[in-house]
Amino acid sequence: MIFNTFVYYLLFLLPSAILYRGSSAKLRPWIIAVFGSLFFLYFAYSMAGTAGALCLGIFLLESITSRLYTPRSRWCILGLLQGLVFLGIFKYWNFFAGLLFWRHANPLRWQGAFLPLGISFFTFEFYHYAWDRKYNRTEPGTLAEYLAFILFFPTMVAGPIKRYQDFLPKLRAEPENWTSDWLTGGTRILTGLAKKFAIADVLSAWTDHLNARDIRLAGRGALVLWLFAYSIKIYADFSAYSDIAIGSARLFGIRVPENFDWPYGRRNIQRFWACWHMSLTRWLTDYVFVPVARLRVGSWKPHIYVVIVTTMLISGLWHGAGLHYIAWGLYHGLLLVAHKIWRGWLGPASQKPVPVFASRVLTYLCVTAGYALFTMDLHTVVLFYRRLLIG
Amino acid sequence: MLQFFEEFKAIFEYASGVTDDPPPRGQSWMRSPLWWGIWWAILILLIVAFSGQSSKFIYIDF
Repeated sequence: MIFNTFVYYLLFLLPSAILYRGSSAKLRPWIIAVFGSLFFLYFAYSMAGTAGALCLGIFLLESITSRLYTPRSRWCILGLLQGLVFLGIFKYWNFFAGLLFWRHANPLRWQGAFLPLGISFFTFEFYHYAWDRKYNRTEPGTLAEYLAFILFFPTMVAGPIKRYQDFLPKLRAEPENWTSDWLTGGTRILTGLAKKFAIADVLSAWTDHLNARDIRLAGRGALVLWLFAYSIKIYADFSAYSDIAIGSARLFGIRVPENFDWPYGRRNIQRFWACWHMSLTRWLTDYVFVPVARLRVGSWKPHIYVVIVTTMLISGLWHGAGLHYIAWGLYHGLLLVAHKIWRGWLGPASQKPVPVFASRVLTYLCVTAGYALFTMDLHTVVLFYRRLLIG
Repeated sequence: MLQFFEEFKAIFEYASGVTDDPPPRGQSWMRSPLWWGIWWAILILLIVAFSGQSSKFIYIDF
């Protein structure tokens, strides 16, 4: 919901964007912070009640702690840890406690567990800021600027994931061209809504069949069709979400990072990931891949294949607390490793039309085959592939 | 084929608000208010025609 509700546009986006553009530079970050807080309270309350809304306190606490971060300080480590601890409790507590007790009764189960609105994406930005402050890669800014960065509601719930050093100059700049920003931003929002309603939601009629009961009844053709439908649906859905977020930000005169660049037409899995959920890929590269690749224990250092698979496993786990998400991450990690080995054997890729076309199709098919792992639990996935391959 | 795809991509990206400047082939007509009026009308029509299914965005839960 959220982006496809009138409340979002009439109560939050339009008033705040107009107020923001008409205000002084000093007031602008506060306008974002106040509207961002109200946005959070409204939608978190409507999704998870009072407890959900109260989670704003956690994010404000993390924001205040951020004022203590200085290059190479221990406060930065505290910042890194507190973000992960809150994410761990809310998102993974029941999952890991369940694994711990496996098939026995789980005394640690949190019955009233809920996921605070946008916690996964908040964590990315908190973590990025603490890390970059630790290595002196960004200036601290003021509290108001930091709150504006964290509580900028167009990107709060599901990205695109911003970087502070990229956001700050845009926040400080005078928003100039109303006409261009509102025309482009408005078009982007309308395109996103049209994609969501006319493509993603329509395909739900097919993709909703990806459950154990329907899979048992379906023929092979239907299974293949549902999977292809899911590949288009997830792309239309998430790119629509990103379109609306980017378009909404543009109404403020702020450009946020792009998230998609025609990922399904890419020649290999590495290029696919460079064009799919781009802000996440860049985040994982900077804060998981590079640090893991630089690990040294005595003379031991991790092999590049281990680094790739570890990064994709973390990506899988981030997508959800379920074994099937981890399996999906592993699958993509192995695809990336296979591609690296393949390129090592064959050298530079051929530029002839037939191999280029074939590699584009193969990449798309590999990604689409993996959606079964993404969208169904492990038991259903096994059933799905058994029905698909054996009958 | 590739050139056709590149041109289609450039037109689509401008029409959907990804880029600020129209591709060379659409310089004049894609800047006109008439074009924007028709395009916005089509988008709004699509939104109205298909709205009401009220499904959640997938990534909200992540």
